[in-house]
Amino acid sequence: MKDLCLHTSAINELLARYGVKFGIYKNGVFKEQLFPFDSIPRIIKKEEFDYLEKGLKQRVDALNAFLADIYGKKHIVNDGVIPEEFIFSSSGFLPQCDGIVPPKRIFSHISGIDLVQSKNDEWYILEDNLRVPSGASYPMIARELCRRSSPQTFENNRIADNRDYAQLLKKVMDNVNTGGINVIVTPGRYNAAFFEHSYFAEKTGAVLTTGSDLVVENDNLYYVDFNGKKQRVGAVYRRISDEYLDPMTFNEESVIGVPHIFSAYKKGNVAIINAPGNGIGDDKGIYYFVPKMIKYYLGEEPILHNAPTYLPYYEDDMKYVLDNFDNLVIKDVAEAGGYGVVFGSSLTKEKKADFIAKLKSEPRRFIAQEIIDFYDIDIIDEDGKRVPRKADLRAFVLTGSETKVWKSGLTRFTRNEGSFIVNSSQGGGFKDTWVLLQ
Amino acid sequence: MGIITVDKMDHLFWLGRYIERVNTTLKAYFEVFDKMIDMDENYYKKICNEIGIPNIYASKADFISRYAYDPTDPNSIISNLKRAYDNAIVMRDYIGTETMSYVQLAIFDVENAKDSDESYRKMHFAIDHIFAFWGCVDDQIDDRMVKGILRIGKRYERIDLYLCFKKPISDILPELDRLEKRLAETQMKYNESTMFTFKNMLNDKNFNYSNARALFATLFDV
Repeated sequence: MKDLCLHTSAINELLARYGVKFGIYKNGVFKEQLFPFDSIPRIIKKEEFDYLEKGLKQRVDALNAFLADIYGKKHIVNDGVIPEEFIFSSSGFLPQCDGIVPPKRIFSHISGIDLVQSKNDEWYILEDNLRVPSGASYPMIARELCRRSSPQTFENNRIADNRDYAQLLKKVMDNVNTGGINVIVTPGRYNAAFFEHSYFAEKTGAVLTTGSDLVVENDNLYYVDFNGKKQRVGAVYRRISDEYLDPMTFNEESVIGVPHIFSAYKKGNVAIINAPGNGIGDDKGIYYFVPKMIKYYLGEEPILHNAPTYLPYYEDDMKYVLDNFDNLVIKDVAEAGGYGVVFGSSLTKEKKADFIAKLKSEPRRFIAQEIIDFYDIDIIDEDGKRVPRKADLRAFVLTGSETKVWKSGLTRFTRNEGSFIVNSSQGGGFKDTWVLLQ
Repeated sequence: MGIITVDKMDHLFWLGRYIERVNTTLKAYFEVFDKMIDMDENYYKKICNEIGIPNIYASKADFISRYAYDPTDPNSIISNLKRAYDNAIVMRDYIGTETMSYVQLAIFDVENAKDSDESYRKMHFAIDHIFAFWGCVDDQIDDRMVKGILRIGKRYERIDLYLCFKKPISDILPELDRLEKRLAETQMKYNESTMFTFKNMLNDKNFNYSNARALFATLFDV
């Protein structure tokens, strides 16, 4: 490990060489920047991973069952497990998807589940990402470069090889492919995750497109070459959000979507990965109900736990939130990427009063969680010193012919002492995640 | 891979062109730099004239610095290299991460040279990485169509620059021969009548470089 740490700057140089960057807009200006890599990995022991694997598979299977139900007969609402307000008032619920059964009945093919480990060793789920979770490419390419920089580290440690992610992804696409090629639809070069889109296209053999080369004819989707020759598309791994997917069905001003792709999907002629409408499954309000879903659909006790969460929507929870405001973190369910997160203790008296007024007027809009004092992991700071920093883990769960958990994950860390915000868009870095084989 | 769309063809073509533009103009830059060391400190004006770029440079030192490193000068070497990168990055799935990385390395070379007191020597590393780029194209890209379009961009740009530099026709003819072979191989559409006339011009005793260049610019107007 020491040897690997000595190569941190060399590995970052290699990441720059290979264009491992992400784009951000600041004050309306696009800027590409490197995603800082720290070579001290997160290490997960085999038995710990076995436990996580079971819990993650269980959670994703329940979420897939929920999505099938909610766009089907809605038993979970009819049986009073989830109040209907939480479904139909959510921006993630798309009425256009009601009644549609995607190929092989899979809604969330690639699920990014964010977890943290508390100081009492307990793992907690922070959120589920079932729309277009990103980040697997970073540890995947970092591992390749770490092995190149310090082969003895990998000779001396038995670590699961994480470079199989592209094969797993290809299998997921092939599993639901309705006949034709696989394509990855990207919003384009200026999207924050463009590196990942292009890297996955290269590694899976799928065609990368901005959608401008895709046409729908007779409810089939085709990719058109420069001579006008058409090739049928059987699976679309879309990296654009639902609202931009099809201007004929969703946001009519979208110029990055594919007109009529939703009709082809509706007829079962093409698979869309992940399925449109998944936003209802990763709504922060719905998150509260996932343990109940596990019991409801699978008849099992949840293996992995949510962070203790309160819904101000419920009277008792509202009272608790108001009584314990300073000890809680409040999240706006409509926000993502570390935005809309407020630590009660950080607000001034006036801001707190304003916030509580907002909370009371829009209780459905917020959730409150106990602050989990999660593990610090050492990083090497700019002065070359080892310092502890907060880090979370995004685990990737892939659902094809079976549900599998990738033996790695994206570990994101904050570079600022005392901060809990690990998002890359807010200056965070990343680490490799090692799963030990013995 | 097998399927290339109009957009992708365009990116490949321009990637080939910009890489070649950097290659040929870097060589010209080295020649100018060498001449200006101890022979003619205004030699850069001649090159500006030949390449057909405005002489916006105040002096020899200004040319040496801005023509190589100024990202706000659209004709500079770094600007052309960044345009090559912009076309490469969207073609990662066709040309591969390794091939693409040589464009990035060439950018690093130019940026490192800029801040160095050995800038002239260090700029030569960019040429090494451009050669490595083409080596990687040969070695790592299996798709003949992809390779073919990249090379069409390269040959087209080279002929255009040779016409700018008024290189002997004997230098242009083999390049044209290679371009035609690639066009046939890829079946990329071009204006056959323009090609026919251009070849006739090359055989004309009163060959006019400006006219030939203007005609050649319309080769892909179909």
